[in-house]
Order: sequence, then structure tokens, then C-alpha cells
Amino acid sequence: MPRLRLGDGVDSGLDWLVTHLSWLFDAVKTVVQGMYDGIDAVLTAPQPLLLAGILAVLAWWLRGLLAGALAFAGFALIDSLALWDEAMSTLSLVLVATAVALVISIPLGIWAARSQPVAAALRPVLDLLQTMPSMVLLIPAILFFGMGVPAGVVATLIFALAPGVRMTELGIRQVDAELVEAAEAFGTTPRDTLFRVQLPLALPTIMAGVNQVIMLGLSMVVIAGMVGTGGLGGAVNEAIGQLDIGLGFEAGLGIVVLAVYLDRMTGALGTRISPLGRRAAARARTGVWAHRPRPTVALSGVAVLALVAGGLGVLGPSSGGAAASATDVGRGREISIGYIPWDEGIASTYLWKELLEERGFKVKTTQYAAGPLYTGLATGQIDFQTDSWLPTTHAEYWKKYGDRLDDLGRWYGPTSLELSVPSYMKDVNSLADLKDHAAEFGGRITGIEPSAGMMGLLKDKVLEEYGLDGAYRVVDGSTPAMLAELKRAYARKQPIVVTLWSPHWAYSTYDLKKLKDPEGAWGEGDGVHTLARQDFAADQPEVGAWLKDFRMTEEQLTGLEAQIQRAGKGKEQDAVRTWLKGHPGLVDRWVPVAGAGHGSRAAG
Amino acid sequence: MPLLSPSPNEWVSVSARLEAEHLFKVFGRRQNEAVERLREGATREELRADGTTAAVIDVSFTVGPGQIFVVMGLSGSGKSTLLRMLNGLLEPTAGRVLFDGRDLTALSGRDLREVRARKISMVFQHFALFPHRSVLDNAAYGLAVQGAPRAEREERATEALRLCGLAGWEKSWPDELSGGMQQRVGLARALATDADLLLMDESFSALDPLIRRDMQDQLLTLQQTLKKTIVFITHDLNEAMRLGDRIAVMRDGRIVQTGTAEDILLRPGNDYVASFIQDVDRSRVLTASAVMDPHVRGDEADCGCETATPDTPFTTLCALSARLTHPVAVLDGGRGLVGVVPRRRLVGLLGDAEGPGTPCDRERNRRKEVTARA
Repeated sequence: MPRLRLGDGVDSGLDWLVTHLSWLFDAVKTVVQGMYDGIDAVLTAPQPLLLAGILAVLAWWLRGLLAGALAFAGFALIDSLALWDEAMSTLSLVLVATAVALVISIPLGIWAARSQPVAAALRPVLDLLQTMPSMVLLIPAILFFGMGVPAGVVATLIFALAPGVRMTELGIRQVDAELVEAAEAFGTTPRDTLFRVQLPLALPTIMAGVNQVIMLGLSMVVIAGMVGTGGLGGAVNEAIGQLDIGLGFEAGLGIVVLAVYLDRMTGALGTRISPLGRRAAARARTGVWAHRPRPTVALSGVAVLALVAGGLGVLGPSSGGAAASATDVGRGREISIGYIPWDEGIASTYLWKELLEERGFKVKTTQYAAGPLYTGLATGQIDFQTDSWLPTTHAEYWKKYGDRLDDLGRWYGPTSLELSVPSYMKDVNSLADLKDHAAEFGGRITGIEPSAGMMGLLKDKVLEEYGLDGAYRVVDGSTPAMLAELKRAYARKQPIVVTLWSPHWAYSTYDLKKLKDPEGAWGEGDGVHTLARQDFAADQPEVGAWLKDFRMTEEQLTGLEAQIQRAGKGKEQDAVRTWLKGHPGLVDRWVPVAGAGHGSRAAG
Repeated sequence: MPLLSPSPNEWVSVSARLEAEHLFKVFGRRQNEAVERLREGATREELRADGTTAAVIDVSFTVGPGQIFVVMGLSGSGKSTLLRMLNGLLEPTAGRVLFDGRDLTALSGRDLREVRARKISMVFQHFALFPHRSVLDNAAYGLAVQGAPRAEREERATEALRLCGLAGWEKSWPDELSGGMQQRVGLARALATDADLLLMDESFSALDPLIRRDMQDQLLTLQQTLKKTIVFITHDLNEAMRLGDRIAVMRDGRIVQTGTAEDILLRPGNDYVASFIQDVDRSRVLTASAVMDPHVRGDEADCGCETATPDTPFTTLCALSARLTHPVAVLDGGRGLVGVVPRRRLVGLLGDAEGPGTPCDRERNRRKEVTARA
């Protein structure tokens, strides 16, 4: 069979879309971002517990007292896990995605219900949208909309669109044909037939579709977290990226609370707005836990809480307060840093966040997977990132995006890539020893993400160099999975060989041996480079100059990493501040300002 | 009960409300070609081989104002398709529907909807009540479509419900009502719009027999005051005989006989119709005018005995005959003698035996009969 170059067509199609329809994508992006910002602003404005109260009153009204109490408990739990802002961000994202998905899917569903050709044409499209792996949709979304919320919303709503269309179509088709005929027999116009007969009767099914849209949207949130939407999805990604099962569980629990709340509320809303459902609910209602306030009571409850919330918002302390001085180089200019959750990446990113904020910039840091990070940088969505391993490990990315990136130089190095074994593997010291121990290791090398540069190097060069090609199989996976596998094997003293690199915290946590590379198959060690988007150094000359001059020693980097490790999750910047306090003079060396005083937040 | 049939001349008068002229309905490919072939005498089966289904073939009839026209046929005979062409729910492949002198098949969609909203209403087999509307709102549906103000439509819907015996049920919901009551709502919904033409599609078939009887009686009672023009579809010949001023029997898309209940019963047009009427309870249909022997001597009513009128029902005639020793005399409105009903004729009709009796071979019995005749 000849190789069908379908992928090339898709690529050039995407390029064409990006160049010719950017105005459209920008418009969509503006609308989505605006909706998201608006909803998020409303949700995060009140005190968390007040908003929890408002949401609980809604649950009370729609479902009953027990539901209200549980809703309050659930949201209070989210707040006590310190995930409130993330949860509200996720809620906003899901609400926006759901709203847009419904605006598209319900009319499409109606159309499909009334026209057989439309239904037949839509079905394969819906199948495609629903089953195409979400990551495949995510990257084009970044190309069109850039990193962040709009891409996440679009990816989410594409994924969540199908059940909305399907259930609307099904609901309308299910309406008894005799009822539709009766409406027609009495001279009802097609439009009135739709609004007076078909839609009211299809409502329970349509609401089940809405429910499905929301649930699918929530399940997509975690994946959308990879394109920098933040929220609970971002928290989950960050947690699994760092093998922090506890935090991952907490963030996951937050998603579950949101999911259950939204599920029950949309279900109840379905029965509330459908006349048939209302009657069924009225018959079933009994007991104190099922007590529901009258709409006016519920409305005034919500209004009172909202007023209190608004009042607190106005009277509450206004944060900030400008500290303009000679060191205020940035004057509030915004800079976005992207990072991969590797230890040196986290350390250097939060270091620069602190340094730049010290100089009056507003800094946003967002975590990405490597692919989206480079895409975002190349399309100018991200200003810079500090964790590019060149020339070897990230060679593929450099090859693809290098002409659209600006290398601001190496700030740390050399690094090394290696295969490592636990030190209890006494006889295995060099890559050359592996061949004889293939049976012992089960012929498996536990790898990381197949997209990682070192994986390509390992498969294409290293195995061949040492004649391991037939003896070993490289198991693709992920860094967290590799580390978890290492942890498990290490605890049981089982043989294991993993792909690893230096610097890495695993070397201080476990007693590991780097396998010697007498043939030099891994090549020279990489340097850790800072990469910026193309015009960044021109747009922000001071920052560009600072980054070009930035260097870190091994002692400084490991010291900072250790400080961050000790401080724990979510306190990275505090750790950086503490560390800088212990190393006076570094701030002025790394981000010098003509005639700057020595007063800094770290010192003061 | 208005079972007395008017003279045939009345049916071709210009005041006719509804006329169907050579209606065809063909489903499938090449419909016009199929109609041509049907006109040339092709059968339904020949067309079916080509993948086209002829549902209604060359159907013509006329329904006068205030009459109940029943279309009777088994399932698949095309009667429901025919009914839906009368109000334009289905567009005829060929032919015209004239209602009040207007050609419905030539109307635009909007005008047709207007006619349906104001002039023609429909009652369905499975009631087709809107489950998300109360009984009152269901009854008022047609008025809502017309755009009548709320007060007016509630008043008229309440009145329609009262006529159908549902006063006090306005606030209930359809699923709280029994089948018979639901169909009363369906009837009220059709009556509330004050439409002149009522199309009833097997409206009582889904009800159990006692309720069905009640509904039939109620419809006839209502009809005495409302005088609607009604086209009633049924597969039940007993129902057709009870309700219909005129009956059309359909088979395989064609009307095989049209006539009054007595025409169908006493003069079946072909074997198909004849096979149908075997199960019919004649005693409920026939009246003195159909049973009597019009050849009279002139002196049969000269005694002081009880007499009958032409529309005296068959069962009453039997009772009379049992009390009298001689044939029952039938007198018209002007008390003129129009016929006599000998007992043998009554018994013969019940037993489906016609023609002269066979003489008995024993003297004793023959003498007894002679005595009775005298």
C-alpha cells in the first residue's frame, strides 16, 4: 500500500487556517476569554464561604435541604483544601464551555431532528469529535487560540458537543408522532410546534444531554490543564508531574465535588423547568430532608448572601499599593513564564518570578507539558522559559521551532543523560554490562514520555552502540510513572534500569548508580538554556539583558531546589525569597538597576 | 337517532360541505406515473412490485353539511391516509379536496394552517393529548393557536368540556383521566375551535366496548344540537352502522361501496362487503321502512291495534309483532298506510333467510299457519 500523506494535508490545512482566519480565531478568543473573565470575577469576588452559602441555597431550592447541606459541606471542603480559586476557575471554564456548547449543540440537534440528511451528515462528525483523542485536538486549539483558557474552552466544548447534539435530536424524535400531528392538525406553525410541543416534551432528554455536556467538560478539564488553563486541572497535572499523590487526590476530590454538584443541580433543574418533571417531583416530595423553600424565599436568600458578599468586597481591604521607586523597572508590564514541572525548571522559574516582581513586573507562571510549551513559545503566547536542554535533549523541538525562538543562552551546565540502576545491582556498572543481564532486568528499560528528546536518543543511538537492540525493550511511559516504578522496585530491591538525568532529586532520594558510557553514546552533556519568543529581547530589553547574563552554579541550583523541596507545594516563591535572603547581593547581580537601592523584599 | 336516510337527491346539492374528487395518494418513486397506471387499471400489487405503495386510489365522495360520513375498512385499506388528505396533513398525489367551495389542495401552507385552525379539527385514535398541558389548556389548544385572548379561550374551552361531560375536571392532567375521559378531552379540544368539519380517526377504537358505546351515544347526542359535518374513520362495521348517515367501505385503497347503513346491510355491493355484514347485529340497524313489505291491500291498519312508523327500530317491531296476531301496519307521518311487516320477515332477517317459505309436509302445521295468517 502506498503511504497516504493525510497528516501532511492536515498540517498544511492548519497552517492555512492560522494564516487566513486568524481574525476569526481572535474574535472567538476575545469572546471566550471575556465570558470566562466575567464569570470568574463574579465567582471569586465573594468570600468563599458566602459563595458556598449561595450555591447551597440554590441546591436547597432545587433539590431539598439535604442537598443544600451537602453542597455547603462540599464547597467548604474545597475551601479548606486551599483549592478555592482553582475550583472557581475550573467552574468558570466548565460553565463557559457548557454555555457555548449548548448554544451550538441544541440548534444543531433541532436541525438534525427535522432533517434526515443533516442527521446523517452530522453523525460521523460527532463520532470524530467525541472519539478523537483529546490531546490531538488540544494542539490545534493552541495554534488557533494560543495557550490558556480559550484553547481549553474550545477543546473542552468540542469534546462535549456531541452528547448535546445527540440528546437534543433524540429528545425531539422521541416525541410521540401523534402529538406532533395533532399540533399540525390544529394549524400550528412548524415553529410553534417546536416551541410549544416538541421542545417542552423533549426537555427531560435535552437536560440529560446538558448534564452529559457538563460531565464531559469536567472530565476534559484535567487535560485542558495541560494547555495552561490552570484551575483544578492544572493542579492535578502539576501534582502528577511531581508525583505528589496527596495533592493530586485533593485536586481530584475538588473536581468530584464540582461534578456531583453540577450533576445533581442540572438534574434537578431539568425536573424544575419541565412541567411533567415538576408534577412528578410534587407527588414524590416527603420528609424534612426533602424540604424545599419557595422560589421567593430561595431568591431572597441568594440575594441577601450576594449583597453581603458585595458589601464585603467593597469594604474589604484593597490589596496592593504601589511601591514605586528606582527599582521599578517593569512598571506593571506583564511577563508570562512557562515551565515544565522539572525541579530545575520550577526553581529557576520561581526565581525569575521573584526577581522580576522585585523589579516591578507582573509575572504569570504557568505549567505545561513540553510540546505545548514550545508551541506556545513559538506562537508568542509565552514570553520565555528557562528549562530548555540543548543541544541534545530538546533537539527535535529546536529543529521544529528554533527559527521562531530566541536562545538567550545557557545558564547552567553541563547536564548529563544516563541510564541508572539502584546501587544494589552490584554487577552492573556500565552500559556495556547491561547486555549480559538482560534476563535479570526482564529485557525492560523503564523510559519516560516517548516525546522526550532523550528517549529518541536512547532508542536510535545508545541501544545500537552497546548492542542492546534485541535484548532490551524501552517501555514508553511518563516521568511520574517511571519514578513510581523506580520507587516500587527500589523498596523491594528488585532489578530495574531507568532513564534518568542529572541534576535530578532522585539521586539524593535513592542510592542510584549512573551507568558509565565509555563509548560516549549519550553525547556531550546539555546545557540548560533560556528560550524566549522571537521579539521578547527587543520588547523587554532590560529583561532580555538580565536573562542573557544569568548563570547559576551547581551549588546555587541544588541549594535552591532543596529549599523549595523543604518548603513544600505551593510555597515555591516563599522558598525562593528565603533562599535569596540567605544569599545577599545576588538580586542586584542578576537583575542590576542603575543606582538601585539595596532594599528588596527578600532582604526586608 | 338520526339513522333515517334522506333521499339521494339531497347529496348532490350545492351546499355540500366537503367533496373529495378522484383522490390518489401514492408513496414511493415516480408517483405521477403510478397514478397514470392506476387510472389505466393497474392493481395495487402490480405497483408494489415496483416499490411504490398506492394507499388511496381514485376516491370520490361528498359529505353534506351536518352529516356523519363513515369510512369503514380494515387496517391497510388507506382510510387513515384518506382522512389526512382531507385537512392537508398529507398532500394528495392527484385529485382535489373541496371544502365549502374552496380547493384545499391549492392553498398555500399558511392558508392551509389557517383553515385547520378555524374550520377543520381532528380527533385522534390515541387521543394525542399534550401531557404537559392541563385538561383545560388541552381543550383550549386550538384557540391558543388561533390567537384568542386567554379569557375567551378558557371560557370556550370550559364550555366545550362541559358539553363533553367533563365539567369540574379542568385543572386535572391528562394522565389522571381514564381513556374514555381522555378522549372526551380530545373531543372537547376539537369542538372548542367551533370548526365546521370534524375528522375522527378511529377515535373510539382504543376504548373498551362499554365506554365506546357511551362515547358513540354522546357523539350522536352532541350532533343533534351541533350539526357538525363529520368524517369518521373506523374498522368496526357495527360502529359505522350506529354512527353513519352514509358509509363508505374501503378495500385496498378503493371505495368499494357507498351508501346508507341499510343499503350496505340489505344490498351489499359485492362479496367482500357481504362477508363483512355477517357479523353485524341487524336488529340495531334496521328500521320498519327497510323491513316492511310495501305491497299493501289497504285495510291492514283498519283494526285498533298498535302500529309502527317507518323509523321504528327493528327490536320495537319484534315486540309489537309478538303482541299482535297479524302483521304490523306501518303508517307514515300523515297516518297513511305505507307497508306491513309480517312476522316471518322479521324472523327471516334475523336468520338471514330470504325468499318465500317452504311449505310444511304435515297437514296439522299448515293449518295452524293459516289460522295465524287469518
